[in-house]
Amino acid sequence: MLKIKNLKAGVEGNQILKGINLEVNAGEIHAIMGPNGSGKSTLSAAIAGSEEYEIEGGVISFEGENLLDLDPEERAHKGVFLSFQYPVEIPGISVSNFIKTCISEKRKAQELGPMATSDLLKMMREKMELLNIKAGYLSRNMNEGFSGGEKKRNEIFQMAMLEPKLAILDETDSGLDIDALRIVANGVNKLRRKDNATIVITHYQRLLDYIVPDFVHVLYDGKIIKSGGKELALELEKKGYDWITKEIK
Amino acid sequence: MSLIKSIKSYSEGIQMSEEKKQLLDSFFLTGFPTTKDEDWKYTSLKKIISNDYVIENESDTKNYSVVEKYSLKFKYRIIFFDGKMLHFPQIKGVSITGFSEFESNNTNSILQLNKALSKNGFTIAVDKNIKVESPIEILFFSTSKNSFLQYRNQISIGKNSEVKFVERIQSLNNSISLVNHFTQINCAENTKVEYNKIQNNSSQSQLIDSTNIYQKKDSICDINTLIFGGSFTRNNLNFEQNGNNCESNMNGVSVLNKHQLGDNHTFVDHKNPNCRSNEMYKGVYLDYSKGVFNGKIMVRPNAQKIDAFQSNNNLLLSDDSSIDSKPQLEIYADDVKCSHGCTIGQLDEDALFYMRSRGVGIEEAKAILTYAFASEAIENISVEKVKELARRLMAEKLNVDLNFS
Repeated sequence: MLKIKNLKAGVEGNQILKGINLEVNAGEIHAIMGPNGSGKSTLSAAIAGSEEYEIEGGVISFEGENLLDLDPEERAHKGVFLSFQYPVEIPGISVSNFIKTCISEKRKAQELGPMATSDLLKMMREKMELLNIKAGYLSRNMNEGFSGGEKKRNEIFQMAMLEPKLAILDETDSGLDIDALRIVANGVNKLRRKDNATIVITHYQRLLDYIVPDFVHVLYDGKIIKSGGKELALELEKKGYDWITKEIK
Repeated sequence: MSLIKSIKSYSEGIQMSEEKKQLLDSFFLTGFPTTKDEDWKYTSLKKIISNDYVIENESDTKNYSVVEKYSLKFKYRIIFFDGKMLHFPQIKGVSITGFSEFESNNTNSILQLNKALSKNGFTIAVDKNIKVESPIEILFFSTSKNSFLQYRNQISIGKNSEVKFVERIQSLNNSISLVNHFTQINCAENTKVEYNKIQNNSSQSQLIDSTNIYQKKDSICDINTLIFGGSFTRNNLNFEQNGNNCESNMNGVSVLNKHQLGDNHTFVDHKNPNCRSNEMYKGVYLDYSKGVFNGKIMVRPNAQKIDAFQSNNNLLLSDDSSIDSKPQLEIYADDVKCSHGCTIGQLDEDALFYMRSRGVGIEEAKAILTYAFASEAIENISVEKVKELARRLMAEKLNVDLNFS
């Protein structure tokens, strides 16, 4: 589904990603772990198409198409979704209007007719139930005055509504208490299908107790320096990142 | 021929009272304001008054079916064509008649001209204890080429009464035109008034609109101003609070492009204690457009416990657009709460990327964020049809399909 080859990216001449190689297939969950400043958020932003970073080389191929040729919105239409580490507040737009717009834009791009309002409302209700979201939430302004946990839950709610093929969860666990973490992880697990894939970006092993990855990659100084199964995350938690960097050297 | 010369030759051909002659002479003496006048520092009339106009011309070719295109189809409608009131509704407890003479505070030459030569307008008197259930829509159409028209309107609201208005001035002739519009609103005790101004005129039309509001105790008056169309729009809103516990609210949304100019000058004269005023003006400027905001708040020495709030937020969406924004607070009482704020900015890049990453195209994303920016002021309007229109006009202007409910 996703093939990243020798991806190099940076900001203002300062290279952050120094040749990333990664392959993600449908049905898989990949975890990317790494210390602060290793390039985790740059990688997710590069996949989603942020113009903040300059792509200096490499390819991000998604279902055979080079994502680097596409605008962020086109990537979203193809089925790429990024759950933001810091979701943006948009005063003046309600959650329901926002989601309605996203869905209608996506369907327009896919040349599907508009979704019937009743179907949309039904879908919203189902997904809200899945994520333990209370009524009244839909009419609140996008992320305005939301707590950290509410913002993250709102990200997963949008993901549930947009049904992406590839979801990237950037530090979704940060700012969540244990109950919220469980609800969010449970939502992600329930949305898991044979034909979609998830990349979980995290500092800590904690989230991976709830969203169990098939693969774990360690990102360090702009490169994936080690890959393995879920046990790698446990080992990291126990021994710290120093252990791997020493091993590499 | 310049406008002043046209006015001169027009006035020589008509009969006038001595008082009006004096007013007109005083107007000729000072002329139209220039950028040397403090109140017109940022807005020049020079080009506007150098154009050729036909003064108070009456045209016979009238296509009344056009009304529906511009009307919000309220139950009660007052319709003017080229200055003549052609239709007015019958409302219980409300008297609606045509133009009438009334005294006004003619502090500037534009109002002197209006008082001296106006012969068109409406007079509305609402009895006491009347709640008019549907808004009164007032439509002013002009059909003739290069018209210079003046309207002079008076509204008096009786004690404990409640009424809403929706006003639209529309030129049906796509030539350069100018309207000098004046409305005086007298709010008696415990009244509630909302006046909505939809300023979406044709691309070459120009408007100088002055509204003087006199409030008695316990009255609430809201004026909402939506500037979308016209090449030149200047609004002067003057509130005078003549009693305790008055509330004056102003909301404004300007969405301008090309070479449009939109100028909102407001003045709240807090003359009595325990009163409030709220101003929220939002401006969105594209292309070469220009905005002006000047908000004057006067708190007189005995006007204690005043709560005055003023905000003017602007989005400049092009390199060539501009805004001049000036709060002007004169406070002579010591126990008051006055706050004012002005922001000028561009769209938030993070929010744009956030929306794009969810599949919203860049133009739509910009439009939605712009809409979100202005919506706070639109939400303060209580008339649903006006709100809908504002949303629609904004979407049209930003060239997107905003399907919000």
